[in-house]
Amino acid sequence: MNKTQQRLESLAAFVVSKARQYGATDCEVSVNEYESVEVGVRLGEVEELNGAQGRGLRFRALVGQKSASTNTSDLTRASVARMVKKTVELARESEGDEFAGLPEAHLFAKSLPELDLFDPSLDKVDINTKIEMAKKAEAAARAADPRIVNSNGGGFSDSRGLVVFANSRGFVGSYAGTSCSLNAGVLASENDGPMQSGGWSSSSRTFAGLDTPEAIGAEAARRALRHLGARKVKTQEVPVVFDPIMAARLLAQFVGAASGTHVYRRSSFLAGKVGEIVAAKDLVIVDDPTMKGALGSRPFDGEGLPVCRRLIVEDGKLQTYLIDSYAGRKLGMTPNSDSVGNLHIQAGKHSPAEIIGSIKNGLYLTAVSGPGFNSVTGDYSMGATGIWIENGELAYPVEKITVASNVLDMMKGIEMIGSDLVFRSSTVAPTLKINKMMVSGK
Amino acid sequence: MNLSPSTEKLISSLFGVSSTQLDQVIGSAIHKRFGFCDIYLQAGTTQSMSWDQGVMKRPSTSIVKGAGVRVVIGDKQGYSYTDHVNVTNLKRAAKTARAIADHTSEVPPQALLEAHEAGVPHNLYDIGATPIDVDLLAKMNLMRNIDQVARAYDPRIKNVTVSVSVQDHTVVIANSFGDVIVDKRPLIHLSVVCLAEENGRKEQGKSGGGGRHEFEFFTDSDRWKKHAETAAREAINMLSAIDAPSGEMTVVLGPGWPGVLIHEAVGHGLEGDFNRKGTSAFSKMMGERVASPLCTIVDDGVLPGRRGSLNVDDEGTPTQQTVLIEKGILKGYMQDRMNANLMGQRSTGNCRRESYQHVPMPRMRNTYLAGGQSTPEEIIRSVKYGIYATSFPGGQVDITNGNFTFSTSGAYLIEDGKLTRAIKGATLIGNGPEAMQKVSMVGNDMCLDEGIGSCGKAGQTVPVGVGMPTVRIDDVTVGGTGN
Repeated sequence: MNKTQQRLESLAAFVVSKARQYGATDCEVSVNEYESVEVGVRLGEVEELNGAQGRGLRFRALVGQKSASTNTSDLTRASVARMVKKTVELARESEGDEFAGLPEAHLFAKSLPELDLFDPSLDKVDINTKIEMAKKAEAAARAADPRIVNSNGGGFSDSRGLVVFANSRGFVGSYAGTSCSLNAGVLASENDGPMQSGGWSSSSRTFAGLDTPEAIGAEAARRALRHLGARKVKTQEVPVVFDPIMAARLLAQFVGAASGTHVYRRSSFLAGKVGEIVAAKDLVIVDDPTMKGALGSRPFDGEGLPVCRRLIVEDGKLQTYLIDSYAGRKLGMTPNSDSVGNLHIQAGKHSPAEIIGSIKNGLYLTAVSGPGFNSVTGDYSMGATGIWIENGELAYPVEKITVASNVLDMMKGIEMIGSDLVFRSSTVAPTLKINKMMVSGK
Repeated sequence: MNLSPSTEKLISSLFGVSSTQLDQVIGSAIHKRFGFCDIYLQAGTTQSMSWDQGVMKRPSTSIVKGAGVRVVIGDKQGYSYTDHVNVTNLKRAAKTARAIADHTSEVPPQALLEAHEAGVPHNLYDIGATPIDVDLLAKMNLMRNIDQVARAYDPRIKNVTVSVSVQDHTVVIANSFGDVIVDKRPLIHLSVVCLAEENGRKEQGKSGGGGRHEFEFFTDSDRWKKHAETAAREAINMLSAIDAPSGEMTVVLGPGWPGVLIHEAVGHGLEGDFNRKGTSAFSKMMGERVASPLCTIVDDGVLPGRRGSLNVDDEGTPTQQTVLIEKGILKGYMQDRMNANLMGQRSTGNCRRESYQHVPMPRMRNTYLAGGQSTPEEIIRSVKYGIYATSFPGGQVDITNGNFTFSTSGAYLIEDGKLTRAIKGATLIGNGPEAMQKVSMVGNDMCLDEGIGSCGKAGQTVPVGVGMPTVRIDDVTVGGTGN
């Protein structure tokens, strides 16, 4: 155990004992410390250099069924003691809620898995190397094509942090983690026409896990260039291919609706749907916070509950809700953690080319915008950018259109699942083909 | 620095440092040949609570205290912050921020920031008593009353979710020109969401409001009641909503909150940083026609009590009323010190940041389309077939090409000049400069939103206001599922 961990665990223990002293019947506390660096370059020169050392504490007190919580960055013992006292007082003034409380003691994680979340080598990367990588990523993007006319810059950022979580029912857990990210963004224009932007990034827990600056730059340029000359199409109903980034976004929206909180409030289109068909029959949705070294991994959840690999959708059927201890008591179910990590759709057998090749007239969706998803009804209507598919090939870019349907219809209408699953973030999916959506344009 | 004893005392009691010590920190950060430095100290509390399924959820308090040190040299900046303010930590942050100088070659003198008359801070907030100190009981009662009124509106209202948030933050801005500016900023916010259910169909309705006021703002003129009823009415109306149409059609936007359109279609594209870098669809268009002659668009930081109003911006510059577009002609950008200076302009008091943990940048305040001549009835009557939209969860814009989207949550069909049926939520999409050219009627009923807006940029969220009168726009693409 290192010194920081000892210091934070001792602070957490102090909070728990103070809370008892002031009359809390139960409490939980999490403390974290982190260091981060952010480098921004633009047009080949350093533009921004940020560094920070931060810390924070979150505390929740229960007095019987009444509760209150506080978060603060003021971690001197005297301030913390005052904060605990005030929070307990606020809980006392609050109203009771018969479902409030910590998870039952037997539910807490017993042994914490070792997940390789910390890369000690990141600490040894000096600032000049980070700057050089950001410069190289931007330079690669700018050099890719003469139609790249301007730049949003390149960037490198990293952080290392430690989290300690403890509660009055005896759970104490902690873990350290690192992450780093390299990105580039550029603008393309042809014959002084409208500009299109494109960007790309790579994120990893380890320095060695990052893609090369050259690859990131090339992809950023490709993503800007492929939208040049985008036009609007006629309003029509067509099959839509979601690229992996769009598919991941759809996945996050869908699974968000399985949260137990939405379910007990009946404010979700998935309420009451466990065991029912909610997606195409070969679709499998997996949540796995235990993947070694992955961005979305962690050894326990926000309440100290254990994490494990679980299937959220299998054979097209919803297998479970995501339930924290409060929703569990509301629904009369055992809590299974309401958070997800490394959420993904299992890879299918079709290459992206095969999926595009199967469509005579349709849309390959590369970007959506706006808040047009209603998690109560599942209604979906988003601004869209993409590439029109004609006779099985990507034909020309399109923009200023919208795509609309209902998420349940979309998930049930998945006709092909791509083989191109890559764990580039904590929520990922392969290319997906949805049988039909309404595209609005001219 | 010559500070009044009360200011000196405030800084020392909140942060445990003196203005002389802040001066020393700034001195340690300034490069001997060039550069500008400022320190942004922030301390305060946010208290929030919610009500759901007939009970209060736990009150939660967020205590903020910290300082960020920034060094600006030409178009480059270094930044660092500390959560534990003392001279040692401030000096360490200054050292980190100053490292930008190691990566900077000689900067032309005209690229360096110059001191200019800071001006006098406004006095725009209504702060007799801090909203934090209002009894928890009063806040609980407000939420309970809203729940009762909303449920009484119609038995099909099955759940009412209320959130209340009150904030009181003090910021101190000290810089290398010797300015020390203090601003004590209250902010309150109320949101009501009603869930209606009938024959298995569920729909939501929302309302809310707030601003830089005392807590009593919610109870004055029964504002809370209006929000409860508005949210309930929208939820009930949506139960019979039909699929939104799809394709290009005429859209009439109601007054107030639909000003989100102005924020997305025009506002972001006129922020100084994007224009300095030439990455906005509006870059190099100063003096040109970018909207219909009916459009005058203003970003206003000086409206008393408004959510987007500030006595001074986050660089200490007093805010102002900034005309962006006058009768369709592009007149001005929204600027902070750095971007204004690099473009040979003056700051318009638009520099903002989410907190001391974030670098400042040009941001909007209260952005609105000024009122015109037509009556709202006239505008609706003029439309043969189209939609009338009043409620929007929000929007988004791609600065580079000006394409914006914004999504309706409460809208109605217009058929032969009359509002007929409620329609489901749908996204509207267009291009900023193109859509603004197609504004064909502007109403005389301009108003600002109720005080619920938040704007995101580069990962930072700040409170803003929006506004517009009833407006008719031709040929907008509506993304419904109906034919």
